[in-house]
Amino acid sequence: MRLKRFSIFESHEKSVRERYFDNELNRQILEKVAKKCYLPTNALMLELLQKHPNMRVSYSLTGVFMEQCKMFAPYLLDSFAALAKTGRVEFLSETYYHSLSALFPSKDEFVEQVKLHQSEVEKLGGKPSVFRNTEAMFSNEIAYLAQRLGYDGILTEGIEHVLGWRSPNYLYSVKSCEGIKAMLRNYKLSDDIGYRFSAKWWSEYPLTADKYAKWLSSLEGDCVNVFMDYETFGEHHWEDTGIFEFLRCLPTEMGKHSNLEFVTPSMLVKSAGAVGEIDVPHVISWADMERDTSAWLGNEMQRECFGILQELEAPIKELKDEELLSAWRMLQNSDHLYYLCTKSLSDQDVHNYFSPYDSPFDAYVNFRNILEDLRGEVKARQKA
Amino acid sequence: MRVAMIGWEFPPFASGGLGVHCLELTSRLCNMGIEVDFFMPKSGEGVKSSHPKLRIIEVAKAEISPYIFVSKSRRHSTYGENLMHAVEQYNKECAQALVQQAGEREYALIHAHDWLGVKAACEAGAKTKLPIVHTFHSTEFDRTSVPWDFLVDIERQGVQNANLLIAVSRRTKAQLMRLGADEGKIRVVYNGVDAQKFNKGNSGNAALERFRQGRKTVLFFGRLTEQKGPMQFLHAAKKVLHVMPDTLFLVAGKGDMLPLLINTAIELGIKDSVMFLGYVSEEDQKKIYSAADLYVMPSTSEPFGITALEAMSAGTPVIISRTSGVGETVKGALLVDFWDINGMAQKMLSVLKYPALGNSLSNAGKEDARKMSWEKTAQNTIEVYNEVLGRGKI
Repeated sequence: MRLKRFSIFESHEKSVRERYFDNELNRQILEKVAKKCYLPTNALMLELLQKHPNMRVSYSLTGVFMEQCKMFAPYLLDSFAALAKTGRVEFLSETYYHSLSALFPSKDEFVEQVKLHQSEVEKLGGKPSVFRNTEAMFSNEIAYLAQRLGYDGILTEGIEHVLGWRSPNYLYSVKSCEGIKAMLRNYKLSDDIGYRFSAKWWSEYPLTADKYAKWLSSLEGDCVNVFMDYETFGEHHWEDTGIFEFLRCLPTEMGKHSNLEFVTPSMLVKSAGAVGEIDVPHVISWADMERDTSAWLGNEMQRECFGILQELEAPIKELKDEELLSAWRMLQNSDHLYYLCTKSLSDQDVHNYFSPYDSPFDAYVNFRNILEDLRGEVKARQKA
Repeated sequence: MRVAMIGWEFPPFASGGLGVHCLELTSRLCNMGIEVDFFMPKSGEGVKSSHPKLRIIEVAKAEISPYIFVSKSRRHSTYGENLMHAVEQYNKECAQALVQQAGEREYALIHAHDWLGVKAACEAGAKTKLPIVHTFHSTEFDRTSVPWDFLVDIERQGVQNANLLIAVSRRTKAQLMRLGADEGKIRVVYNGVDAQKFNKGNSGNAALERFRQGRKTVLFFGRLTEQKGPMQFLHAAKKVLHVMPDTLFLVAGKGDMLPLLINTAIELGIKDSVMFLGYVSEEDQKKIYSAADLYVMPSTSEPFGITALEAMSAGTPVIISRTSGVGETVKGALLVDFWDINGMAQKMLSVLKYPALGNSLSNAGKEDARKMSWEKTAQNTIEVYNEVLGRGKI
């Protein structure tokens, strides 16, 4: 979801949607990534699901993604629906707007976004029962919220300072929650594909499907949660790296090990029990070295913008103006805050890699002026 | 190791990055054990050495005007006659003096700067057979949109003649390649800043305060020539004032565009919000950096841009032209296209309106300035010396 290069000198005749969001660019990006990644990977997945009756896979699609598909690439949404029809594809629940609304003091907005998302996924042919918060942000409180919303499971990052000596390859219960089980992403095995697959400096390069299946088979535990950007296939790693061949061979290679089977998150939380409890009083995530919220809220610029987003909730909801409500929600996408991150050195490179801006300061100028404009728009409509 | 350095200007009687570079570089080189004989025109003002290992050798008696760059309007008057003659005279005498000294002083190499030292370096190099390192702080392509062939030819000669070239940025490296330099011969060595010098936070300028009257202050500091973009600064100021009428714009520096700029400020109806400061001494320079809420460097072509680093080390947020060398290397700055007046004004307004941005830029800028030390420049320069000596040994 890219923003317009907003100009404070531009006239206010256009709608806020046109002023803030670069739909032409969003269409181009979606079409480009669909061609390189989503469509070929979906086609391959469908082929594999047909060939391997025991294979299963699950997806986490944001509401905004599904909305963009409807607008710009309905055929892409159809291809996800076709996967859902196999009955062996599951969709996770999340916030519709890929937002940090779980961190708002009032949880109303979070709940609304999760419900909105749920109903979109149901239209696609799924019925999520496991929740994954934006960027795997997780705490005891967030788990509790998810449980209250009726989810049996919640996915987050399997990080050492939460687990201690314990393994991510089991389910855990969450302190002060009853009934919801935490699934932990195995970041090492996920990053082996998502991040290191085409890294020539890596001692395990090149990664082959049989090697990877052997690693999985040799693990101890009840489950291994391998979860990565879908863009891993064809976008982060281009086709010529052999990433699609890897994916094509993986189910066959896994089939050679009797201790491996595919399960969906909902099957897993139903079939396996929690072996222990995790206690996460402060919010964790899968981002950066810190694995906390500092990638989005680590500096003054980010906290200020996040504060404005929160401050606008009450007046916007009071106005009952669909246009403003939808613009405000689109602006909650965590990426807009991510681009403002000023962490130095290695992590900054990751932030730069994904950012369409010159610098976090440049990103702030654009985002902040849009927020200021929205604020002005809210005031103007309150008076009207 | 002893180096014969062919310079031109030397602070306090300097008006450009070249002079600052020479002062800071030579003292750091001396601290690192390199002896420098610094050849420069006789200024009549008595330039003093700052270090026992630095010997200043003033040559040529001709009275030479300060560092003046080509400007279209005056190319055929001041620049064409007086300065060109002075440069020629200086180069001739400088080469003689250098050759004379070479026997006794046993130089390891000759290090020259810009087109001003090309002829002397060529001549002295040919006679002494010493290897030549030539630093380019700018090229004719940067200084004017209509390059003067005569100067381009001299620069070309300098580029061909040197054993190794130092460019003050990747941007300047590209300009040297336009001049026909072999890419393999160019090393990029960025300028630095003496962070101690500018971070004193001294804003106690009573006269300035009186004029400022609590207004937010935006600073331009540089020669008033087309290359530095003062006109863009005024046009952006007009846009800013439309939104924030309570803003003061300082234009510091002198140059031949001054009358035109004053007229423009009047025509734009912003004369009460623009203050022309003229020449600013080094002491006042520190004060205005820290007094300003924002420093803007809108240069059309800036080989490096030391002033941006100076402002950053004073903790002043900076907006710098994308077409600048310093913009390649710092992280704590906002970049603009010099022709994008709306974009420039929007960024200026954002810094003035949102303290979170100003604070963040200030902190990141100080961090950049700490990393960009003259010690690092000197170390990198020594590496180039070692390289040229390794190659030069027959």
